[in-house]
Amino acid sequence: METRRSFLKKSALGVGSLAMAPTFATALAQTVQDGVPGVVPSLLGGQARRFVFIRKSNGIRPNEVALPSFTEEQAKLDKDRKAMEVDLRDHELPEWLQALAPYKDNMSILQGLSSKMSENGHWSYSSVMGAFKSGRNSLSGIKRATIDFEMAKLFPSPFGHVELSLTGNYAAWRTGIVSGYSAPAAHQRNYCYADPMTAYNELFKTVINPGAVNSDNAMLAFLQNEENVKAELLEGYEKLKLSNHVASIEEIQARNKKLESMSGKIKQYLPEIDAVHANGGVNATTPEKQKAMTDILIAALATGLTNVVTYTIDELSTPIKGLPGNESDHISIHELGHNGGYSGRPADDIRETMRVGHVEQVKTIVDKLKSIPEGKGTMFDNTVIIYFPENAEGHHSHGTEAPQIIMAGDNCALNMLGRYIRLPYHGTEGHKTIGNWYTTLLNAHGNPIEHYGDFDLTMSRLKLDQAGAIQQLLG
Amino acid sequence: MKDPKIHKSLLAIGASMLLAWVVLSPQQSAEGEPKAAAAGQQTLESQAMNVLDTYCISCHGPDQQKGKTRFDALETIDTVDQQALFITAQDAVHFEEMPPAKAKQPTAAERAVLLKWFKEQLTGTAANKLAEKLRRPEAGNYVDHHDLFSGEYADLPGSTEDRRWLISEYIFNEKFNRILKHTPRRDIDGKRYMVQGDSKRHLNLTNPFLLPNNAGIRYYANETLNGGHLLTMLTNAKDAADYMLELAERDRSYLSSVDSILAQEVANRKTLESRRQFLNHHIERVLQDIYLDKHEKLLPRFVRVEVPEPIAEDSDVKKAPYHAANPGRAEVEVIFRSMRRLKKEGQSNQEVIEACEREWFNFGHDARKIQARITFLNNYWEEFHNEAIKHKMDERLRVYEYKPLAEEEMWVITETIQKHRRAGDRYQDVIDKCLTDWEAGFERERVAAGPPTEEQLTELTQQLVALILERKPGDQELQQYKAIANQYTDLSRRDLIKKMIQTVMLNTDFVYRSEFGVGDADEHGRRMLSPYDASYALAYALTDASPDKELAKAAAEGRLNTRADYEREVRRMLSRRDQYYVIDESVDKNDVPNFTNMPIREMRFFRDYFGYAKMLGIFKDNKRFGGNYDNTKTRVVAEADRIVEYIVESDQDVFKKLLTTDEFYVYHSGNNEAMQVGSDRIKKIYNYFKDKGWRDFTIEDLAKHKDFIAETEMRGIDPKRLGGAAGRYNPMGAFTRQMESFEVRLGKGQTGAAPYPSFPSHGFNGAWNRYRGRMQSPQIARMWNIDMANWSYPAQQPAKIENRKGILTHPAWLISFAANTETDPIHRGIWIQEKLLAGTIPDVPITVDAVIPENPEKTLRQRLDDKTNNDYCMRCHVKINPLGIPFEIFDDFGRYRTEERLEYPENLIEKVKDKGEPHEDLRDLYKTLPIDSKGYLEGTGDSSLDGEVDDALDLIDRLARSDRVRQSIIRHAFRYFMGRNETLNDSKTLIDADRAYLESGGSFDEVIVTLLTSDSFIYRKQPDTTE
Repeated sequence: METRRSFLKKSALGVGSLAMAPTFATALAQTVQDGVPGVVPSLLGGQARRFVFIRKSNGIRPNEVALPSFTEEQAKLDKDRKAMEVDLRDHELPEWLQALAPYKDNMSILQGLSSKMSENGHWSYSSVMGAFKSGRNSLSGIKRATIDFEMAKLFPSPFGHVELSLTGNYAAWRTGIVSGYSAPAAHQRNYCYADPMTAYNELFKTVINPGAVNSDNAMLAFLQNEENVKAELLEGYEKLKLSNHVASIEEIQARNKKLESMSGKIKQYLPEIDAVHANGGVNATTPEKQKAMTDILIAALATGLTNVVTYTIDELSTPIKGLPGNESDHISIHELGHNGGYSGRPADDIRETMRVGHVEQVKTIVDKLKSIPEGKGTMFDNTVIIYFPENAEGHHSHGTEAPQIIMAGDNCALNMLGRYIRLPYHGTEGHKTIGNWYTTLLNAHGNPIEHYGDFDLTMSRLKLDQAGAIQQLLG
Repeated sequence: MKDPKIHKSLLAIGASMLLAWVVLSPQQSAEGEPKAAAAGQQTLESQAMNVLDTYCISCHGPDQQKGKTRFDALETIDTVDQQALFITAQDAVHFEEMPPAKAKQPTAAERAVLLKWFKEQLTGTAANKLAEKLRRPEAGNYVDHHDLFSGEYADLPGSTEDRRWLISEYIFNEKFNRILKHTPRRDIDGKRYMVQGDSKRHLNLTNPFLLPNNAGIRYYANETLNGGHLLTMLTNAKDAADYMLELAERDRSYLSSVDSILAQEVANRKTLESRRQFLNHHIERVLQDIYLDKHEKLLPRFVRVEVPEPIAEDSDVKKAPYHAANPGRAEVEVIFRSMRRLKKEGQSNQEVIEACEREWFNFGHDARKIQARITFLNNYWEEFHNEAIKHKMDERLRVYEYKPLAEEEMWVITETIQKHRRAGDRYQDVIDKCLTDWEAGFERERVAAGPPTEEQLTELTQQLVALILERKPGDQELQQYKAIANQYTDLSRRDLIKKMIQTVMLNTDFVYRSEFGVGDADEHGRRMLSPYDASYALAYALTDASPDKELAKAAAEGRLNTRADYEREVRRMLSRRDQYYVIDESVDKNDVPNFTNMPIREMRFFRDYFGYAKMLGIFKDNKRFGGNYDNTKTRVVAEADRIVEYIVESDQDVFKKLLTTDEFYVYHSGNNEAMQVGSDRIKKIYNYFKDKGWRDFTIEDLAKHKDFIAETEMRGIDPKRLGGAAGRYNPMGAFTRQMESFEVRLGKGQTGAAPYPSFPSHGFNGAWNRYRGRMQSPQIARMWNIDMANWSYPAQQPAKIENRKGILTHPAWLISFAANTETDPIHRGIWIQEKLLAGTIPDVPITVDAVIPENPEKTLRQRLDDKTNNDYCMRCHVKINPLGIPFEIFDDFGRYRTEERLEYPENLIEKVKDKGEPHEDLRDLYKTLPIDSKGYLEGTGDSSLDGEVDDALDLIDRLARSDRVRQSIIRHAFRYFMGRNETLNDSKTLIDADRAYLESGGSFDEVIVTLLTSDSFIYRKQPDTTE
């Protein structure tokens, strides 16, 4: 039997880093050591991996990802939510996924995961990426670092983690830097860039606004000197406390220097952002916003500023404007969930158009990363993109099914590409939750954690085993 | 039983010498004692090996490797594992966990040798582990309880070290609320009060100083500022600086120096804004005045936007309702204004729309917006007009009357327009070109003005230090700030001010509380806190905010220099009831008010100590609860807060009452009058209809009672629509459903009805809470074993509940110390041992697989016994299980029980439906086994109390009578208010606090007064780094 000691020993990095990262702090403090190869990349051939998490609202209904070319028997299994697996190359993709058809080898559709241990209904907030109940959007309900931050810890970079979002208040877009959905640690909420121009200005500041960077550096030097003087006057433990702070200032200065040294690469991949996005882009349409955000996302990865991006492509309160087929409508995603149509077009059609728009963004990311050489292949070879619903199977979700679309390059550490995989249904033997899925991601990339996330209480009540990775997906 | 003398000597080493070792780096030691050290080390190593041979190797050597640990082949263990081993061994030796009690014990000197040797073997952060552990509140109990209270050490001089104490999450919030002028309010019992503890500022900041969620003392002076804090504060400072500059520009009294530095810029911006607004409202009129009949010719050619056909009347597609289709409030206002201005009598809808479109086109509005407006009007014309009337838009949106600006301004505007307007320009093009022209001119002025003057920078720095750091800057500090300001002069004046705000805010003085002694030291090297530091120490002891006006004044006027001064201020603050506080923002909401007006840190002590809010993070299966558990969580915690406040407010026998009260709040707002009104209303309705044959009512019958229905606001029935023309309105379902529900609540002769809604609906739902919000979550009653189908609801609360005794039997505490699916006797036992008996429990050895095995045939107690009933486990579990097991009379939802449900699929007797009425219990039925709650109490030091206990109620009864328990609570209060662990030097302080409590009849206020006027609090001493 595995004891705490043996478990802790083998998960020195995994559990240790989870347990010992009590604040935003530690999560990001690691990232300032960019350039120092981590343990995990060496396990994966020394090559850092990238992760893109794309959250979409209003759920993904399981039948929307069912393959239209299923045989009768396969269709029945799928409808009855029985475990099954088929080769995508032998099948047609649903219409809205057609843009990704050329990349079936790099694609996986994962059905049957549940997310009942996170928030459901209209919104899941931070909980769906942390596999915990958060008591709606309460800060104290954030129980642990979300999976994207855990992945970011494994693959440090100057920014560590970048979060983007396109959200609003139904009428207007959110703009600037606002609170995000990811969590760097328990009880911490991340911030995110809410419009493309803000993301552009902040991420690529070293190149765009060197003057601001200079005054930041002058301020840090001043603070360092000031605290050094104080440290001289203090004794014992108090002195030690202050010297830790001075070391932190030095680390940030080092990160800024690192960023300055990356300016050549940043210039190389600096995206062009249309003028419509100036001042928050109040007149930009939803597709324009999405395209610009995708460009930012790709540049953030290509420049090496981050290895992990979480992108909330929409949320129930995101205003939808300029959508193909409904160009002049002001659409509420929430209303689509209640089956309300616009300009005579049914809600389901509009929902499909929106998903098509999302998939085009995913395809753009794949295409662009495939065009950037890395090692003996391309950047995409070392990238995993996960497109998933923030609230499982529908507008008013219960969390019984949370379909995931995965695109990953040839070096993917997961054994799932080219396949449609349906896992056993919630509350039955062999069922898997998003906790199992995230554990799989962590285990496959070097964090040996036994189980990430809370357990499902129905599974617990039925005394069904639910800990650990999804073994069939581990390479 | 431990030998107190050994303990004392170890503590002497542990608490001071080990701390001293920590601050000496390995290099310092090496450089300080070169050759001698090498020789000494050899001696030390051989001595240590002798001790290991004598006491340890027999169990941890070649023959046995208990706990998979051995000391005989250290050279074969890799360096990382060796460090882990030494840390564990160091803890075990220091805390006397090893050798086991039955084995031969080393002498104090031998332990010291081992400890020193371990210390030398540890490097880097590992070397600090024990010292850090000793500073944590959980280690406080390692100081012998008897020694602290015996009086033997009462002559030792008490003091706290000079220190800087990192702010808490709560202080962070109050600091920023003050700086950003955020003044949250709550309407409580019909009156509006300012509150502290609400961080919902307009500006979203990240709080990097969050406290842990554990039970016990959460806020301690041990934390240090780290890289994460700094990174977060960099962003916070940047955002706050933007916000503060806006504030300063709106309110000249906020930072008057900003007004002076930006005088020209502010004036120019106002001018610019005035011109922008004027042109936005009146551009057409201005252009007509300038260009007269040529104006029309200069306009662009009007091209209509394309829009889809309006939605067909007979469309099968569900049409999105108005609220989900309108393009937002701002856009609706634009539409309304244009329409009001342009609509002419007799025009068709399409003519009005076209006139509006032409105006928007000429103005240069975004074509997509115009499309959206027209599409919206085409499909929602009628709804738009109805909404405009409903929301009185005509009154609310004032008409922009044309009033020309001053003559010089109009001249500038006219000249600039004439300079820039070209044929085909839209109005917005003209405005933009003018603004660009003016901005360029103002920018040239700004550059020509140069950086701020020395005087302006001095004033700015003084004001920023006063606002942010709440003090005056020293002369040298002032010069340093001015020097850095001079490095920012490449920036605009606005950016320079923002950068200065950031620089001051990132001073560590902002996030550390300073507590230093000043003046001459006494014979013990102690100095009194400076009056300034004392005012903050006292304010932060009782609240999260800076000193109130009177305290600040006392410090400034030299009236905070004596013990009597401290006492005066502490008593004054303790008696204040005019300041309200949100207790917990994650609980407080309109449905569940969570506030107090006693000093928040007095209230929070008990909240943290008991740890009953931990349950907010524990989620549970609704099916096992038999209702909606998630919605109930905040109410449980709020009602626990309410009973704690009620008892602490009484300030008599506080500890005993907290431990033994049998009166609680259950589904109650704390306002007896309001709850009585809610309860009486149901009784009134029920009594009115009960004998009128209501089950057979037709709608006509019901209509006869519409006056009564209106008077009592019966749910889901609109009296205005009763008795009118027969139509589709039929509220009979709502009527019958609530009458059936009322019958459940009163039909069995109950004395009162719980005022909860019979079914979900908007509006009044039975009773108002103290924010005049809706009372929610009556299913909380289930946690108290109250049958909602037969509940004689007491509107006057707190009220007596059967089978309960104090906070430890409150569902909030019981759930907090439970797992997701079962009880947690281990953590319940540990809590009793540590928090009430001042006992110690070692960390779980890493060799232990701490999981209770599943077994569908056994109770949890039996399964726990299977796991821990062995010599190895019982070394610790003997101090845990007998104290936790008695609580098995409560399940993991806090329900009293005599039988335990064996919730395994194979034990399922009946699957119960998943949905039902509020009063129905929806739990599945399982086989059960009787509860065995017998336990054992040891450690009160009182033979009349120690011994076998029947259950938790018996256990609590004995604990509440124990001196040691009372003193243990006082020890925790000491830690809470001092922010550190007690030492023998604090013996007098603790004895005084205990005496004050007893002599006052159990007043917790007196405990606080004693602590905050003690030597331990008012005297400070420099850290001793010589040992």
